[in-house]
Amino acid sequence: MPIDRSLTKELCELARGLLESGQVECVIGYEAAPRGGARPLFAYSPADASRLIWSTRCVHNLTTYLHDKKKPRRRGEEPPRVAVVVKPCDSRTINVLLAEGQIERQRITVIGMACPGMEDETGQPLAHCTTCGDRVPLVYDLLLGQPPQVTPATDDYADLAQIEALPPAERLAFWLRQFDRCIRCYACRQVCPGCYCTTCMFERDDGLWVDMGIELPQKYLFHLGRAFHLAGRCVACDECERVCPMGLPLRLLNRELAREVERLYGHRAGQEEALSPLLFELGEEGSPI
Amino acid sequence: MRIATLSNIKSWLDRLAQQADLVAPRDVDGHVLYRPVSSAAEVLFEYERPELSAKDYLFPATEVLLRVEQEGKEVSIEEVLPQRPQVIFGLRPCDAHGLAAIDALFLNQQPQDRYYQQRRERTTLVGMACPKMWDGCFCVSVGGGPTDRSHLDVLLTPVEGGFAVDTVTPKGAGVLAGLEMTSVEGQPPAVEEYARPVPVASPDQWRARFKHDLWMRHGERCLSCRICTYVCPTCRCFDVTDRVVDVQAGRTRIERIRAWDACTSTNYRRAAGGHNSRPTKADRIRNRFLCKFCYYPQDFGPLGCVGCGRCVVSCPVDIDITEIMREVAER
Amino acid sequence: MTVSANPMRPYLGRLTQVRQLATGIKFFQVELTEAEGRAAFADYKPGQFAFLSAFGAGEAPFGICSTPRRGPYLEFAVQEIGHVTHTLHNLEVGDPVGVRGPLGNCFPMQQLQGRNIVILGGGIGGAPLRPVIHTILDNRAAYGHMTILWAARSPDLLVFTEEFDDWRADWATELHVTVDQGNEGWSGNVGLITHLLERVSPSTENAVTITCGPPIMIHFVFLTLKKLGFAPEQMLTTLEARMHCGIGKCGRCNLGEKFICTDGPVFWQHEISGFLEGFL
Repeated sequence: MPIDRSLTKELCELARGLLESGQVECVIGYEAAPRGGARPLFAYSPADASRLIWSTRCVHNLTTYLHDKKKPRRRGEEPPRVAVVVKPCDSRTINVLLAEGQIERQRITVIGMACPGMEDETGQPLAHCTTCGDRVPLVYDLLLGQPPQVTPATDDYADLAQIEALPPAERLAFWLRQFDRCIRCYACRQVCPGCYCTTCMFERDDGLWVDMGIELPQKYLFHLGRAFHLAGRCVACDECERVCPMGLPLRLLNRELAREVERLYGHRAGQEEALSPLLFELGEEGSPI
Repeated sequence: MRIATLSNIKSWLDRLAQQADLVAPRDVDGHVLYRPVSSAAEVLFEYERPELSAKDYLFPATEVLLRVEQEGKEVSIEEVLPQRPQVIFGLRPCDAHGLAAIDALFLNQQPQDRYYQQRRERTTLVGMACPKMWDGCFCVSVGGGPTDRSHLDVLLTPVEGGFAVDTVTPKGAGVLAGLEMTSVEGQPPAVEEYARPVPVASPDQWRARFKHDLWMRHGERCLSCRICTYVCPTCRCFDVTDRVVDVQAGRTRIERIRAWDACTSTNYRRAAGGHNSRPTKADRIRNRFLCKFCYYPQDFGPLGCVGCGRCVVSCPVDIDITEIMREVAER
Repeated sequence: MTVSANPMRPYLGRLTQVRQLATGIKFFQVELTEAEGRAAFADYKPGQFAFLSAFGAGEAPFGICSTPRRGPYLEFAVQEIGHVTHTLHNLEVGDPVGVRGPLGNCFPMQQLQGRNIVILGGGIGGAPLRPVIHTILDNRAAYGHMTILWAARSPDLLVFTEEFDDWRADWATELHVTVDQGNEGWSGNVGLITHLLERVSPSTENAVTITCGPPIMIHFVFLTLKKLGFAPEQMLTTLEARMHCGIGKCGRCNLGEKFICTDGPVFWQHEISGFLEGFL
């Protein structure tokens, strides 16, 4: 696994410093996974921090763990100050969560990593990295790494064209076949930093919208409903698709809606720190909102 | 040993598919899963470990328990019990062990789970030995093995010329009726390479770790999804609820269903009123692992883990049961 | 515990009484309409529970707060707090319900005979204790002195107030009532049940205590009882948890390797202190 040794060293030193000075109580980053690749690490001590790494296998979007750090560990205490290691896609989540009032900027130290693009276990670049236009995080307190000397990719949404070329009946058949494999494990929802409802509308005890059956109608509604709830909010980190044990091509759903939102409203999730969530502000026709 | 050729196995499966619900490994859009098949043409004969266990066919992910009809103040209840015979073909030994673990609770503890009991009675298990141990596998460490015939009715082993047929039970002999076999000298090949063994601590050693910080260390990155629970051959927690299917002219038709649930899920122990007695991820994964290696064996007999390795390879954040087993046994 | 052919199939019943017991709490009396149901419930014991079905919503476990001796019906106190209980609260006399049970273990009434009993009920926790009180009153000479401490957060949350006179009327029973917070009409004790317990300070001699209420109340009452000199072998309680089967299969109600539905819900404190998982 191509660990970047010099950036790893820099990151470890930085994290140790943040913990030793007490600026943060936890650094959320990556460590080497014994089975290969990387996995999330919560470093609470300088000893923990020396396990941090930076490599092209640091695929997880760690900002999802910021939701766990909003409450104090003990009653009467302040919520913890944490640092989180982010790639450009992850940093877009920070902007979305700030705009939605979900995290406090001053409690988070954002360690931005210039990103060469991530790879899977076979060395293949991840799909969302091949269409990514951001090589440097859009929000950070500290930046590590040199922006790579590559022309940022442009996204022509060619992968959507394949599905859109199908007549509607075949398109539906395609998606129903995908959802049929779904086991309703909710990994896509749990990993997503944008899914933070305390009670998911698709998991209510009273089954108001869907009952708890692991069957096609409920799964169909869950995936489409979740995609709509993320329209204008999804930053295309593709974690949902990565974690799915049944290989559902979830990024296509999110990209379809992201493209529509961009076309209709000129809005791309997480591009600016102060960008208002889509449809939260009413403006005059022609106004920038 | 007795051998059946692939061609004879296929004809036999085609006939079986007429007489019973036949479940076998198949390719589902590039994923190997145990699925209903209508002919041998759909069956995979060379495959690794199906991505899900076969428990869905004895303990369905969603199952209608009762049909209730209410008209005014009158109610009638109908039990929905499984009727059809079923044959699961190509079952890996670890998955058979998984069913045996569920048997220990659903059948051997009173009162029996009637739905599981009816399905189990009507199901014949035809196993397929593994030629090697796959990524994540550690069945040998928990009392199983890639060629283990326990808890199966028949065990097939791939050999030159077809499959060696080992009739394990009278039920197995029954399902084999009509399968042409020839006797040859020799034994099925032994599996040469075994995965690194994983130590299994005693229930008391697990108990001693209850208050340990290892649960937070391993659990903090948990997503509280249900992947590990749903791919697991032994996990059996379920939820029960009613759903209204139909309301017509004063008659309401209702189904009482049960569906898989997972103790890893955030709200698993949340009571109406809001109190959650396992509020942290550490609490929840501790329960999951202690259930497998401490509670389940103490309460019901077998371990709650068959070493299939699915949770190891599927966890999106690399929470590894073998890593935790080693830590509990060795530190 | 009943062993029926299909333990997940409820017996049919009909509501014969529905009344407000306290704020947010309703009292339901159920008549079982099937012979098998009546047979199953012919001899249920204090401490056992049943699943009540509100058809269309689901079912949930409730302590049975009646005794077979006092009538061929089942009684339950139900707090409106979630989907199933909300649906139950909208039912009327004559409406059909389902009942599964009787489930769980029971209070060891035989063992309690000849002993002095101290009963501590908090809020709706009083409901599973009512059949204990009735059993003692209906077989009075078999038991020693009975001290009842009854509490709630406020007067409108006290349950079975209409029975207080009956309980007090018994020559060997004393009743003490307290609320955490009084109101204009309240002239009784104000204060936590633990304070009342310390004031009343029942004798530990030949005594057994039975506590039921919110988990936090049970926890603090146990501490106070210990302070007053009661041994763990003298402290009984009944626990509750979210349940879906009640027969030890669905996995939800475990405290370590114990299941509240099959190993309980009645437990001695010395058993609980050995549990891996606390009940809080």
